Amino acid sequence: MLHRRAQLAGWLTAAAFAVLPGVATAQSTVKIGAIYPLSGNAASAGTSAKAAIEVAVDIINEDRPELGELTLAKGLGLPNLKGAKVEVIFADNQGTPAAGQNQALRLITEDKVVALQGAYQSGITVTASAIAERYGIPFMTGESVAANLTERGFKWFFRTTPVASDIAKIYVDFLNDRKAKGEKIEKVAIVNENTEYGTSIAKVVGEAAKTGGFNVSVVIPYSANTTDVQSQVLQLKDNNPDAVVFISYTSDAILFTKTMQALGYKPRILIGDNSGFSDASYIRTVGNIAQGAINRSAWDVGKPGSPTFLINEMYKKKTGNDLDDTSGRVMQGFLTLVDAINRAGSTEPAKIQAALRATDLKPNQIMMGYKGVKFDDKGQNILASALLIQIQGDKYVSVWPKESATSELQLPYKGW
Amino acid sequence: MISATLVQVIVGGLLLGAVYALFSSGLTLIWGMMNVVNFAHGDFVMVAMYTAFMLWSLLGLGPEASVPVAALVLATIGILSYFLLVRHIMRGPMIAQILGTFGLALLLRYTVFGVAGANFLSLPDHLLGGVYEVFGIRLQASRLVAGVVALLVTAGLHLLLTRTTLGSRMLAVSEDATAAQLMGIRPDRMQAAAWGIAAGATGIAGALIATFFYISPTVGETLAIIAFVTVALGGFGSVPGALVAGLLIGLIESLSAYWIGAVWKDVVVYVLFVAVLWFRPQGLMGKS
Amino acid sequence: MKAAPARNAVWAVAVATALLAYPLIFSSPFQQRLGALVLLYAIAASAWNIVGGYAGQVSVGHVVFFGCGAYAALATYHHTGLPPIAGVPLGIAASVGIAALIGVPTLRLSGHYFSMATIAVAELARLVTTNTEFLGAAVGLSGPTVPRTVFDLSFISALPYYYLFLAVLALTLGLTWWMERSRIGYYLRAIRDSERAARSLGARAGRVKLYAFMLSAGLTSVAGALYALMFGFVDPESGLGILISVKMLIMAALGGAGLLFGPLVGAAILVPLEEISNSVLGGRGAGLTFVLYGAIIVLIARFRPDGILGLLRLRRRAEVPPKDKTDAP
Repeated sequence: MLHRRAQLAGWLTAAAFAVLPGVATAQSTVKIGAIYPLSGNAASAGTSAKAAIEVAVDIINEDRPELGELTLAKGLGLPNLKGAKVEVIFADNQGTPAAGQNQALRLITEDKVVALQGAYQSGITVTASAIAERYGIPFMTGESVAANLTERGFKWFFRTTPVASDIAKIYVDFLNDRKAKGEKIEKVAIVNENTEYGTSIAKVVGEAAKTGGFNVSVVIPYSANTTDVQSQVLQLKDNNPDAVVFISYTSDAILFTKTMQALGYKPRILIGDNSGFSDASYIRTVGNIAQGAINRSAWDVGKPGSPTFLINEMYKKKTGNDLDDTSGRVMQGFLTLVDAINRAGSTEPAKIQAALRATDLKPNQIMMGYKGVKFDDKGQNILASALLIQIQGDKYVSVWPKESATSELQLPYKGW
Repeated sequence: MISATLVQVIVGGLLLGAVYALFSSGLTLIWGMMNVVNFAHGDFVMVAMYTAFMLWSLLGLGPEASVPVAALVLATIGILSYFLLVRHIMRGPMIAQILGTFGLALLLRYTVFGVAGANFLSLPDHLLGGVYEVFGIRLQASRLVAGVVALLVTAGLHLLLTRTTLGSRMLAVSEDATAAQLMGIRPDRMQAAAWGIAAGATGIAGALIATFFYISPTVGETLAIIAFVTVALGGFGSVPGALVAGLLIGLIESLSAYWIGAVWKDVVVYVLFVAVLWFRPQGLMGKS
Repeated sequence: MKAAPARNAVWAVAVATALLAYPLIFSSPFQQRLGALVLLYAIAASAWNIVGGYAGQVSVGHVVFFGCGAYAALATYHHTGLPPIAGVPLGIAASVGIAALIGVPTLRLSGHYFSMATIAVAELARLVTTNTEFLGAAVGLSGPTVPRTVFDLSFISALPYYYLFLAVLALTLGLTWWMERSRIGYYLRAIRDSERAARSLGARAGRVKLYAFMLSAGLTSVAGALYALMFGFVDPESGLGILISVKMLIMAALGGAGLLFGPLVGAAILVPLEEISNSVLGGRGAGLTFVLYGAIIVLIARFRPDGILGLLRLRRRAEVPPKDKTDAP
């Protein structure tokens, strides 16, 4: 038994080391670990995030003068590290907090990554970043929105994405704007999946809507990955709100859209919050029957020839899809992290941490529609913001606020 | 007072229940006949859905082609699974069956994942006709077809088991394999046939569900637990039981989601299920 | 057969030595954590084995007890500020209580009906927890992010966890061994091997199964608490998801259900397989990890339906009079 066990362990270790990239690589690469759901229910989002980071690596490592002032686009690699290239080691969190934490440890101790990014699901970001905190390695999330992530007193945790309160604000501002234009908007309904993402956003949006003077007429939570949503749609039909906010993952977002068509229900204003509604799969599968759906986003493809347009082309070439907001936020998180490593001029964690704290990116240096990137003491980007986009034809176009809009807002919700 | 919406909820619930019954009938057949629990059942449904999607995206074929093709593909998978795996694990304890079929589930799920990718897919709407309004009640053609086929499949399987030689032979094997063998029935063939028929029925179910549901590698997980509960509630091996249980669960889910709230609908179903087992440990229509 | 005890003793010493020495030989943080994870899952699977293997009652809802332990530990910390470990007795008490409560109606169900009823109970627990604010609802509960005292059992290194888990595993296996040799074990074997024998035992059979269920539940909740200590986080999916029930079951089945060391062997194969294949293949994002994992499970089930150590049981069975095969559960 001893022999067999030792042999087994020896074989396993050998396998691990033979295939994993060795510890002693040339100094000219900077290794960063990225933990995303590459299998399981959220694999669709995780795979897109992986592709987005690969595009970002291409932008950083190759000379891309056409991308203008975007950080690290010009020149090869990281100039302050003698042109070192960035190498990303991806890990699959398998949709479980345990796998996320195990992989974070593996990336830090076996692969010696200098920083980590991830992990899509907020619950997994909790456990994975806890390991990074203990080892003193910077952890960046470009997409996890749970409020508690930045309330843990962590010193190595940074987040570029807007959070629930930013999101709620833009929805309420938008509805108030419509009201001011003479449209009758009183009743607002919220439909949310009941995991962490849906619950937290629904709560904040509900509170913001009440404060903004709206009547939150019905809140319909449901279990994610459900088999049927007919009753929820009929509840909405009964209630007949002026605007509905859906907070759903992809599978349920598709199901809601199909069911609404089957039951012939159209709210006047349909807002589909990010996640499921932003997934490229959503537009491809049901975009034609969700015409006029409004979504929040910080990503806008922009005019042909613009840097964002070119980034979208690169991503499209790789995946066949347009870049979606979630993957865009992942990419912005990654670009911000690597920019800090470059400014640190070192792969020492403490120096990277200091550089992240000193981050002050201007709108023209970033790809997302944020007002910039600047972290507060808790690691939250205080300049994060969002705009509203709408499905028109086979893609999302930016429609609100006016100053950033590229297309005319079309109301009411047209559906199919 | 019964409002129009409530009628719509009830109709929707019954149609949903028919779908549950449809994808559970294959499971109950195997479960009852061979006392084997197939943890890969949800993934059988998933493979059938992908078959339907492939036929449409590559050849532009609709359900009239994809239903028979998916039935054939799944029947083949079922018979192969029987000869390569199930026949051998039946010799072990019950957990060997869970072990083996769970492994099969992962294998199917992630092979499809590797080939087709993680993206969500969907067949175009109106592939099976549109939506009809009858007395103010909206009926979706694809769900109606699924409901009718559920009734046909249930009736067909029931007649097969009760009225045909093949059926009585299959039942003889399930009652007592040794005695059946003495009477000149070859258990192996009968059990392979049961797997083929059950998986074929699952193939029909998957191809039809694909016309109104999304398609993803993990969709089987979503459907599997409902199928288990449907089969156990109806009574293992009882094809009519699965139909009654499916309709009941669909109706209860719809009504409780409408009245109590969507997050509680599964709670109501599970409580009811455990309560039924308390009073009738063999399920609604199972043999004691 | 007189040599058997001596041979067993040699085996036991060899296994114990190997387990004690492992983290010193394979000393990188990831290897040590891998060892700790093997032990953690071995505890859970061994606890499951008491009722699933020895009593032949295949529970697919054991995650309820796992969740009880994990939630008791972190809810204690969350609501009182005490170290999470202070919640362990609470978790055990809750688990044993729940086991008694659901055991009475469900244990009289036969075969698959019992399995299905336990699945339903576990799903109920998950759904109710998801909607219970006190238990963190969908967001989940976190442990102390920075250890305040040593009692928080929050360590950077996996080494302390490893030896803690090893001690608990020894305790679990010791209890199982004791039970196996006691009158309870005798009844359990009789019940598992023949429904007829079970019936002739009458009401006593039911009570014995219930005791085994409660013991199993208590130990499973300890595994859950240890999980929560190490990972510092639990939410409804990771603490009450059906996949954890299935994992316990397949580890025990793979090694050999109803055998003392079966779950440990199963965990020692599956945990490294999962973690290392995920490390090596997971990043490619084609689901290869699970294709491999599934294929290996299928192959073992195909060629060793009794589990890796199943041969041992066959040998042991040959020593007792043959029984009616069709009565096997």
